[in-house]
Amino acid sequence: MFYRRTGIRHTRYEQERQLFPLHFDRLLILLVLFLLLAAPLVLDRFYLAGYLLPWLIWSSAALGLNLLMGGAGQIHLGYGAVMAIGAYGSVHLVRAGVPLEIAMIAGGLLSAAIGMLFGAAALRVKGIYLAMATLAMQYIVDFVISQTPAISGGTLATLQVPPVRFLGISLRGDTETYYFALGVCIVITLFMLNVGRTSFGRALAAVREKDYAAQILGVSTFKYKLLAFWVSSFIGGAVGSVLAVCYLRAISPDQFHIELSIQILAMVIVGGLGSVLGPFFGAALILFAPIVLNNLMGFAASSLGINIPIDLRAHLPLVAYGALVIGFLLYEPLGLAKIYGNIRNYLLVWPFRHAQR
Amino acid sequence: MAVNRRIFVSGTVATLAAPAILPRRAFAQDKVVRFTMAQDFTRIYTFVTSEYSQGQRDYFTLINERGGVAGYKILAEVSDHANDLPRAIEAYERGKREGAVLCDPLSTPVARALVPRALEDKINLITAFSGRSDAADGTVFPYVLPLSINYWTQAGLILDYFRQQEKGDLKGKKIVFVHIDTPFGKEPLPILQVLSQKLSFELLPFPYTPPGNDQSAIWPQVRRARPDYVIFWGAGVGQTVALTEAIRNGLPMNKVSSSVWLSESDMEVVGKDAAKGVMKVEPCASGRDPKPIKDILAEVVGKGKGAGPEGKVGTAYYNYGVQMAALMVEGVRKAAEKAPNGPVTGPWLNEGLTAIANFTADGLLPPTTITKEDHQGGGQGRISRWDGAKFVPATDWFAANQDIVWGEIRKYSEEFKKTGK
Repeated sequence: MFYRRTGIRHTRYEQERQLFPLHFDRLLILLVLFLLLAAPLVLDRFYLAGYLLPWLIWSSAALGLNLLMGGAGQIHLGYGAVMAIGAYGSVHLVRAGVPLEIAMIAGGLLSAAIGMLFGAAALRVKGIYLAMATLAMQYIVDFVISQTPAISGGTLATLQVPPVRFLGISLRGDTETYYFALGVCIVITLFMLNVGRTSFGRALAAVREKDYAAQILGVSTFKYKLLAFWVSSFIGGAVGSVLAVCYLRAISPDQFHIELSIQILAMVIVGGLGSVLGPFFGAALILFAPIVLNNLMGFAASSLGINIPIDLRAHLPLVAYGALVIGFLLYEPLGLAKIYGNIRNYLLVWPFRHAQR
Repeated sequence: MAVNRRIFVSGTVATLAAPAILPRRAFAQDKVVRFTMAQDFTRIYTFVTSEYSQGQRDYFTLINERGGVAGYKILAEVSDHANDLPRAIEAYERGKREGAVLCDPLSTPVARALVPRALEDKINLITAFSGRSDAADGTVFPYVLPLSINYWTQAGLILDYFRQQEKGDLKGKKIVFVHIDTPFGKEPLPILQVLSQKLSFELLPFPYTPPGNDQSAIWPQVRRARPDYVIFWGAGVGQTVALTEAIRNGLPMNKVSSSVWLSESDMEVVGKDAAKGVMKVEPCASGRDPKPIKDILAEVVGKGKGAGPEGKVGTAYYNYGVQMAALMVEGVRKAAEKAPNGPVTGPWLNEGLTAIANFTADGLLPPTTITKEDHQGGGQGRISRWDGAKFVPATDWFAANQDIVWGEIRKYSEEFKKTGK
């Protein structure tokens, strides 16, 4: 009833192959896009800077990691370090007077180069061994940054991001930074949507399913494993610079520790490996569930007059949050994107449940 | 009832959506000063925060029970940010929307990220014992107020006490600086290096890897270096491990000192008798003798309105909390003196906080004067020693080496100013 698939007859291959063959999906995408574009005009600054901006940035990062993990099947536990390289590279360039447009790309390239270097471990090891190799990357990068005053910024280890302009627009206010992050996120999302339809994406899928089978079929695992690390690290580095410029505004080594890597990894897994929609859901859950649960607890404590000690009040949301993550993994191992997929599948033929899909 | 997928998913959605639907609490009082106390109760600072926050809340309760300050009630919204930036920034923005004029995150990473925002929004950011040390320079950081002695000042105080012990001469002495290998741990190094040149003592830094729960490789080296004095610098678990190792390696406790981050709780872990003689920097008096603590015991805890366990009242970090709360309240009082009818805004409170003069909170703090230039408050503290049951002051309140400290502060604040343009 909603999707109205009857009567859709594709007469050309282009129609069949388009990203969203159903009219309803296209409308939905346009609606979401319109809401995101209109958000700064409607929403309070609190929602913009406190929720939407971090959501967009963390989703972009999770998309980059998802290409590597969901797309190519290579685990990465050091994505925070990849973002750190991009952030530090671009902030140093910006401080030296390089325009942000170039600094961002250069930060991405730097991340890509170093990320690929460590990714080379994937040529020899797999699974949990690769996890260890990328974990080593995390610690090596952390160490190098915090031990080199020239990189970390001296005794206080804080690098201030100077006021920057992007294509002539000053990125100072909340609206400007929001639109900038939205733009970057849209570019990355479009890339991810399309990558599955390219030879590159198909080669990655082949490597993911079985690397020696792919090699036998003539897909160079050497090339595509390194390329997967290259592309994913480039995105990580570029998002790292967006994170530094739009959100953190002052970077220090402790912002890019293992906690960030695990957070993004959790977003990818809870959201749904290999799905483009998943990272958005994952980022929302991982970022905001603790906040919302905490506020809920605070609300219960203050307005319902329940006197809970602050230590308990601070820890209960964490317990609930942990239960939530485990619950989602138990009841929907394919991630939050699958829940959306289930609902969509149901509505595709509603109210005729018996109809063939 | 068996939980199936549909119940789980819909239940979760309902719970998460509830805050958006439920009505917001309305505040009847018109004369309220709002503070945002989003602090880290769960990740790194843990028990430090809960003791600090307990002190703050008890002091606010004391003031509010007495009818507020100059007609204003203090409303402190306490929440947990778990040292996580998105959570902290959300809490800060929430506070700002609800009209908070002061934010006290008690976390260095969070303070770093909030500095540019606070400067833009004109919200008073309190960075006691955390954040940027150069924020003491009020001309560059008008809305960032440490209100307490920074780590450079603390290092300066410790070394001056050592100098006093050696009758004014540290020449040829050997001072070991054991520190956690993070930016926080390395922060006092520039001050120590300048002082080692000036007073011609030998400085030996020994870094240990974070988080510092194994330092057994470092301390035998410290012992072999035969130091005249030892300074250890860390936080959380690193502190107790350092002290345990120092004791195990037979270092004389009366030659060992740390920063403000040492408390009675740490001593219980280390062993109260074994640690006898160890020194720390005190930014305010500890124990239950100062008048504000006595008042809290009588009027708040005695009436069952305490924010936490009574046993913690009067411990070091509890008193730090009371110290900061007292300074904030004094700021409100001064602000109300200048403009009794408000409106309550960030600049309004800032005027008050930077007008605090010779404030001692009835003997809890050293005489503290905050000006528009000096946000540190004069740089006075004291050294005290653990006597097996409590910390006993070894000196009176004093300030030392402030010229060197301010040289360093200006060096970094100049740099901050340059990138801000």
